Amino acid sequence: MIQADEEALLPAYVRRIPAGGYRSLNPLTKLTLAAVSAIVAFGVRGWTGPAVVLVVVVSSALVAGVLRRMAPFALATLPLVASILLVNTFLYPNAHDVIAVFGPLSPTWTGATAALQATLRVVAFGLSAALFALTTPIDDLLGELERRRVGRRGSFVVGSALGAIPRTVERAREVVDAQRSRGMDTEGRLWRRFRGLVPLIGPVLFGALAEVEERTMALEARAFTAPGRRTILRSLPDSGWQRAARWLLLVGSIAAVVVSLAGAVKLP
Amino acid sequence: MGLLTRWVRRQFTTRVIVLMPVAIAINIVLGYTVQNVLKLPIYVDSIGTILVGCVAGPLPGAITGILSNLIWQYAPGIGGSSIGPFAVTAGVIGFMAGIWGYLGVFRSRPASGLRLIVPAAIAVAIIVVLAARMYTIPQYNDPNAGNYPSWVYGAIVVIGAAASIAVALFVYLRRDAAGAWVAVAGALTGVVAAIVSAPIAAVVYGGVTGSGTDFVVAALRQGGADVYNASLGQGLLSDPIDKTITSFVVFLILAGVSSRFLARFPLGDRLVHVDAEPARSPEPTGTPSDS
Repeated sequence: MIQADEEALLPAYVRRIPAGGYRSLNPLTKLTLAAVSAIVAFGVRGWTGPAVVLVVVVSSALVAGVLRRMAPFALATLPLVASILLVNTFLYPNAHDVIAVFGPLSPTWTGATAALQATLRVVAFGLSAALFALTTPIDDLLGELERRRVGRRGSFVVGSALGAIPRTVERAREVVDAQRSRGMDTEGRLWRRFRGLVPLIGPVLFGALAEVEERTMALEARAFTAPGRRTILRSLPDSGWQRAARWLLLVGSIAAVVVSLAGAVKLP
Repeated sequence: MGLLTRWVRRQFTTRVIVLMPVAIAINIVLGYTVQNVLKLPIYVDSIGTILVGCVAGPLPGAITGILSNLIWQYAPGIGGSSIGPFAVTAGVIGFMAGIWGYLGVFRSRPASGLRLIVPAAIAVAIIVVLAARMYTIPQYNDPNAGNYPSWVYGAIVVIGAAASIAVALFVYLRRDAAGAWVAVAGALTGVVAAIVSAPIAAVVYGGVTGSGTDFVVAALRQGGADVYNASLGQGLLSDPIDKTITSFVVFLILAGVSSRFLARFPLGDRLVHVDAEPARSPEPTGTPSDS
């Protein structure tokens, strides 16, 4: 009954439900998928865990049509991947199966294997995070959590933090520009960059803290601490099979990690 | 209402709820700038966490730390590549900051004479003990675990000496005994953070994190340390320095904002120095870092 009333009363732009294979899943299901991906990618050792996650994430991205937009996220893992590959291939402790000798450097097979496995883990986890970020509007997730009785304080902290980040970046940029115009050196030698920290951190922090008092008053004036729950008008579809899948995935992934760590099943 | 519920509730006032997102944004933006833009071998991604911990208590501190890393990892546009799993470390750092807040470590303590010299001496002594412990920790000298290259021992001595001098100077120049306790709290937080994050780095990422600190890891591996010990060694070099600097930054911020602003937070009474107290001594009798 309430559902029908909502549909009649609310304009279409409030109720706009994400459509499409992966996107139409309930935000909570997508959150569970992201968590399970992280658990399996890191917890199931060897090649199997990360490889399974990578396949699932890439095919989901294909269905959701965000594969191309995941490229920047994959690129963001490059410094870490480069570091993993170099440090482990060339400097793996107690590895003696040398591939070749280049002067003082001797890459080993053991090191290269460990490096590639770690790389696969990082890329699989990074892309699973990207898939979640690209397909889940954060407001939907927070609204859904609040509907399920996660308090409004929690959703305020997360939502407000996401809003505060671009503002803080903007403020940091203004501060850096202002200090540069006064002659601060933000490029060059290590010590000079160290000295640039103080005139950057100070104004950014004090500026951000100045906001706190004002916003506290604003929230208190709008019954933020009032008892009772807010009515969330925008409800997203959920289904029995999604609820079952969420529990199954969570339990299954933890079981997989336990089995893998116990060494009961030999996985490649 | 149970004692525990009341304790939890008292930490999450509206003011704290408003401060937490600001702190999370500060963590992420400053951490990103220092690690990825300036490429310095420290992190500076816990200023907000320690700030919330010491003005509000252990729970808001821990939650701020955990959420900072998770949001950094999962937020669209700023997604970090390796920070998510270190949410555990960030949570521990925030929780410890809350304990320092309860102990009043961050309260300004203007003093002179012995009141100034004794805390400074205790702080320097604790730094020396920590450095000596790192110098002689058995697993670093175990040939099976792998030795560090000899420059690490030199680095420990130089850093320990520099930290002792810096803390002594800070205390002396500001005539504020709090500097000593802040240094001790920061160094201890750093040691714990290093111990918590080394296994994460080793298990999850093969020991590296893709930031400026990897040069230290590579150098330790070159010296023969294994994956875990190289990460632990890097952490024990970077973290105490990083957390001590961060703690001093937080201390200077708290000294810079108005007492009226601070007093409204849950631990405000432990942060504000009361000037006119003729009969009572503003100094606690025990050392705040002992418990």
